[in-house]
Amino acid sequence: MFNLSELENDALVEIFNIGVGQAAASMSAIVHEEVTMSVPSISFMHRAAAAVLLGRGDHEHARICGVSQHYEGAFETEAILMFPEDKSLEIVRLMVGEAVPLQELTEMEQEAMCEIGNIILNSCVGTLANIFQHELQGSLPVYHVGTSDEILTASGSHSDTVVLMLHIDFILEKHQIHGYVAFILDISALHDLKDQINRYIARAMGQA
Amino acid sequence: MTTPTTILVVDDSRVSRLMARQYILGKHADWIVEEAGTGEDAIERVKTLTPDLVLMDVNMPGMGGIAAAEQLRRLLPTLRISLLTANVQSATRERAAELGIGFMEKPITEARIAELVAVLEVAG
Repeated sequence: MFNLSELENDALVEIFNIGVGQAAASMSAIVHEEVTMSVPSISFMHRAAAAVLLGRGDHEHARICGVSQHYEGAFETEAILMFPEDKSLEIVRLMVGEAVPLQELTEMEQEAMCEIGNIILNSCVGTLANIFQHELQGSLPVYHVGTSDEILTASGSHSDTVVLMLHIDFILEKHQIHGYVAFILDISALHDLKDQINRYIARAMGQA
Repeated sequence: MTTPTTILVVDDSRVSRLMARQYILGKHADWIVEEAGTGEDAIERVKTLTPDLVLMDVNMPGMGGIAAAEQLRRLLPTLRISLLTANVQSATRERAAELGIGFMEKPITEARIAELVAVLEVAG
């Protein structure tokens, strides 16, 4: 399994911390309430193990909705934002307010979730790109519904693909909604990421 | 009789267009908010609309917002354009600056729209 040194791991957590702070601010502006986010924990695991971890909620095979975006540039990755499926309409309602009738809200649910995914994932990935001083080009967001395993598979990964599990809890206190973000990287992308982290560390130490 | 201020909101996300419209009209109910779902559509629309401001999403199907803004800039050099994007990367901001256009971060909020509206109010 792919590993980072202690210093590399520390740097990556710090970079994601900054990105997550930006994402929390964006999420809070979307839902008009305070959003608390956990300090990101990072682990590398095979996709199958990641699916088990993500599915370890209240229900073993709970359906979740996911929004994925493919990024390439400094490194290549599939970033996925996931929320419990039964909360997505509630999130969209928080976004647009009470003025929109329920039927119209239901019609625009997928589109609105894509837009939320676009904002949150770009907050995170954009911060990474700025820190790495290397642009990351993103695709249009794609909406998925299914179990965590189905969503990770739909995002193009095989069971032995390594997933960088950036485990962040997005907690909307008043609404008890938890969300997660995952990044899928293949071996070559993991090496590119490691290379970017080391350049960042070298710059931070005044060696570049 | 003065022509009402017209804003063209270009975004493939219906919910984003809806929110922009809601916040603009909340400030100025007499202004006109027009919508386009793609960059290509926006270029067609400005031929007949002559908007005072174009709010342009970046990540859209088709030509995308930056290419559309470049074309609009060539067609109408004095047209006020602001990118409206979730892309917080410095490279995108730099591209906007090179084109001489504004930059507004998503999510769309009442406060951010109010800032844009205030610029148009001052411009009269």
